[in-house]
Amino acid sequence: MIARPAPRNLPAAAAVVAALVLLLLAPRWLERGSLNDLWSIAFAIVLASAWNILGGFAGQISIGYSAFLGIGAYTTALLSLKGVGPYWTLALGALLGAAFSYVVGLPTFRLRGPYFTIATIGVSEAVRVYAAGVSYTGGSSGLRMPPGTFDFGRDYAAMMVLAAAVVLLSLWIRSSALGKALFAIRQDIDAAEALGIHSTRVKLIAHAVSAAIVALAGGLFAINFQYISPGSVFDFRLSLSIVLMPIVGGIGTVAGPILGAVIFSYLQIKLLSTPALRDSYLFLYGGLLMVVMLFEPRGLVGAWQRLQGLFRVPLRRKGVPGGA
Amino acid sequence: MVPEAGALLVVSGVSKRFGGLLALSSVSFSVEAGQIYGVIGPNGAGKTTLFSCLVGAARPSGGEILFRGGRIDGLPNWAVVSRGLVRTHQIVRPFRQMTVRENVSVGAHFGAGRRRGSDAAARVDAILEKTGLAARANALAGTLTIGESKRLEIARALATEPSALCLDEVMGGLNPSEIQSAMTLIRTLKESGLTILMIEHHVHAVVGLSDRILVLNFGEKIAEGAPAAVMRDPAVVSAYLGEDAPAEATS
Amino acid sequence: MTKLLGVLVDSLLAGGLYATMAYGLAVIYGVMRIINLAHAGFLMLGAYATFFLFTRFHIDPFLSLVVVLPAFFLIGVALYLAIVRRLPRSGATPSMESLLLLFGLWLVLQNLAYAIWGGDTQSILTGYTMKSLSFGGVRVGVPLLLVFVASAASLVVLTLFLRRTYVGKAIRAVTANRDAALISGVNADRISATAFGLGTAFAAMAGSLMSTLYAFTPDFGRSFLLKAFCIIVLGGMESAAGVALGAFVLALLENVFGAYTPIPTTFQDAISFSLLVVVLVLLPQGLPRLFARRSAHAR
Repeated sequence: MIARPAPRNLPAAAAVVAALVLLLLAPRWLERGSLNDLWSIAFAIVLASAWNILGGFAGQISIGYSAFLGIGAYTTALLSLKGVGPYWTLALGALLGAAFSYVVGLPTFRLRGPYFTIATIGVSEAVRVYAAGVSYTGGSSGLRMPPGTFDFGRDYAAMMVLAAAVVLLSLWIRSSALGKALFAIRQDIDAAEALGIHSTRVKLIAHAVSAAIVALAGGLFAINFQYISPGSVFDFRLSLSIVLMPIVGGIGTVAGPILGAVIFSYLQIKLLSTPALRDSYLFLYGGLLMVVMLFEPRGLVGAWQRLQGLFRVPLRRKGVPGGA
Repeated sequence: MVPEAGALLVVSGVSKRFGGLLALSSVSFSVEAGQIYGVIGPNGAGKTTLFSCLVGAARPSGGEILFRGGRIDGLPNWAVVSRGLVRTHQIVRPFRQMTVRENVSVGAHFGAGRRRGSDAAARVDAILEKTGLAARANALAGTLTIGESKRLEIARALATEPSALCLDEVMGGLNPSEIQSAMTLIRTLKESGLTILMIEHHVHAVVGLSDRILVLNFGEKIAEGAPAAVMRDPAVVSAYLGEDAPAEATS
Repeated sequence: MTKLLGVLVDSLLAGGLYATMAYGLAVIYGVMRIINLAHAGFLMLGAYATFFLFTRFHIDPFLSLVVVLPAFFLIGVALYLAIVRRLPRSGATPSMESLLLLFGLWLVLQNLAYAIWGGDTQSILTGYTMKSLSFGGVRVGVPLLLVFVASAASLVVLTLFLRRTYVGKAIRAVTANRDAALISGVNADRISATAFGLGTAFAAMAGSLMSTLYAFTPDFGRSFLLKAFCIIVLGGMESAAGVALGAFVLALLENVFGAYTPIPTTFQDAISFSLLVVVLVLLPQGLPRLFARRSAHAR
C-alpha cells in the first residue's frame, strides 16, 4: 500500500526525533560493540530509505546503487589523503553522487520497468570493473584513510543524524507534490504524463536525492572503516541488500525500508559471527526474495496490513481493501 | 480549407502513420474558444489517435497543431498539458492505489496550474464538488464504479486548469441517468468558459451538445460543420449512421 | 587482411555460442514476458554439470550434452510448475515480481554451487583443449570450432522444432501474438512449461559449451547474462535467426574492439556492459517494444 487516506506525518516525525535523541544519548549507557551494531543498523536504514525514494515511491528498481556508495567513499578517502578534513569532503561526495545519478539516469530513464533494472545492472558492473582497473582508486588493493581521521563518537552521531534526516525526508516526500508525482509514475506513467508530470525530470530529481544520500553514507562508511576497496564498497552483498531491505520490509512505504534494514542488519551481524551461515548468505537473501515475491510482494508491511484487514474488515469503511 | 486565424486550436494537415497503416490522413479543422466541438466516426476511424496527437501522447507523422497561437505538435504530453490542453482516457486510468482526492490533486499540483498547499486543496475540493465525487474523496480510486471512474478522469483533467479539454467517450458504459448528469456537467463546464472537444458514440448526446461536429472515417475528415447539417450529409449517413444507427435509437 | 579474416572467423564462431546462450532467454521472454535472471544460474550449473560428468565419469564435455540437455529441460519444467506458475501473469511488459523472483532463484542457484563445488576457479582440460587448426593462415582453436558446430546444430534442430511440431508452432504463435494464440485454444500452461524447460536447457547447454573454453566459478554467467540481454535487444525475440544475427553483431563488436583498439583486457567487460546500456537506450526496449507501441496507439 501507498498513500492510504491522509498519512499523519506529525506523530511519525515526533517519534523519529525522539528516537534520534535517545540514540544520540546512547553512548552514555551502551558499550562500543552495541554502538557499532547501532551504527550498522542506521547505515542500513539510510541505504534502504534512500533507495526507496526512487525504487519504492517511483517504482524504478535500480540494482546499481553501490556505484553511489562507492563515489561517496572514494571521494572522502581520496580528498582526506590530500589533507582535506574528512567531514568537509562529504558535501562534495554527495554532489558527485547526484551528478553521476544524472548521467546514469538521463539515458536509462527512457527505459521502462525491468528494462531500466537491467540497464542499471550494466551500469553498476561497468563502474565496478572500472574502479578496480584504474590506478587512482588504488585499484583492487584499495585505499587507507590518513591517520587521525577516525573519531567514532563523531561518526556515530553523524550517522544517526543522517538516518533520522532520511526518514524525515521520506515522510515529507510522501505527503508532498513530488511524492504524489512519484506514486503516479509508479502506477501509470502515461497517465501521469497526461496530467502534466514531466516524468523524466521527476525521476531524475528522486534519483539525485537518493544518490546524494547514499554517497553521504559512503563517505561516513569510509571514515568509520578507515579502509575501502572495490571489494568492500562495491561488495555484491551490499548492493544486493540495498535492494532487498526495502523489498522485504515493504516497498514504497516509509516504515518498510526501516523494518527491512533492522532485520537485515541483524542477519548480517548473525551471519558474520556464524561461519556456517556466512557461506549461505546468497541462499538466505535469494530465498527471502523468492518468498516475498511469491507470497506478499508488498513485503512485511503489506503482510501486516493484510493481517489487520483479516481482523478489522467489519469496522472498515466499505470499499477500502488493499487496492490492486 | 484554410483554418481561421485566431481560433484556440488550429489543426492543419495532421497525419499519423503506424507502420503501413495510415490512422490519420491530413486532417484539418479549427476550434473556437468556448465551443463544444464533437468528433464522431465509426470504430477505428482515428478519433482517439487524433486526441493522442493533439495532446502529444503520440507524435504526428505530419502536419501542424497550433494552440493559443503556439506550435504544440512534437511537444511531449506533459508540456502540452502545461500549456492548457488536456485529455481524458477512454479506458479509464486512475491511480488505483491513491485516493480520489490524491488523484485529483496530482492534476492540481502539475498541469497548467502548478498549485501547492492549501491553494491546491481548495481547488481540488471545488472540483470534487463540481464532479459529484466529494462523497468518495477518501476512497481508493481502484474501488470506484465505472461511472465514478469516468468522472474521476474528468476531475483530474479539470484540476490541471486547462483552457481546452478533450473528452474521449466519457459517456461510454454509463446508464441513461448517468449520461444525463454527464451532459449537465459538460454544459456547466462550457458555461464556465472551457473549450471542449469530445469524442462520443452517443450521437444524441453529441448532437445535442456540440456547436460543431467533425466526422472521421478511416482516418479522413469526411464532414465538418454545424450538427444538423453534418447529420444530413450523405457521406456521413452512409459511412457512419448506416452502421451505427442503433446508438441513436438507444440514446 | 589475415587479421581481419581472423576477427571475422572468431566473431562467427563466438556468435554461434552467443546465439545458443541468448536463445534460452529469448524463448522465455517471448512466451511469458518474463526476464529470466536465473538464466545466468543455469548457465553456470550447466558448466558445473559438464565438469562433474567429466571429472567423475570421464565423459567428454561435448558428449555430456546428451545428459545435460534433457536433465535441465526437466529441471526447467519442474521449476515452472513449482514456482514460476504461481506468479501473476505478466502483461505487455514483464512484471517486477517475476524479475525479482528469478533474481532470487539465481542467488539460490549460486549458493548451491558454492555449497557443492566451493568457490575455486574450475576448468576442463581435454586432449584437444590446446589444439588448433589452420585455414588459409587463420588459426582456429579446436574447442571453439566444436562449440560452434554444436551450437549451430542445436539452432538448426530448434528451428525445425519450432516450424514442424505442434508445440513449436504454438510457441511461435504465443510469442508473436499472445492474446490471439490463447483465444484460439493454445494451452498457455503447457506452452509456458515447455518454453521454460527449453530456455533452461539452452542456458545449460551454453554453459556446458563454455566450460570447454573458459574457467568458471559459481559467479560465472553474470557477464554472459548481460551479453544475452544485449543480443536479444539487438536481434529481437521473434526468431532464432534474429537472435543469431544479434549474437554475431555483439561478437563482432567485441572482437573488433579487442583487435583494433588499445583498450586493456581488464576493461573488456566494461565495454560489453556499456554497450548493453547504449543498445537498450538507442533501441528503447528493443524491437518487440516497437511493435507493441504501434498496436497500443492504433486503437
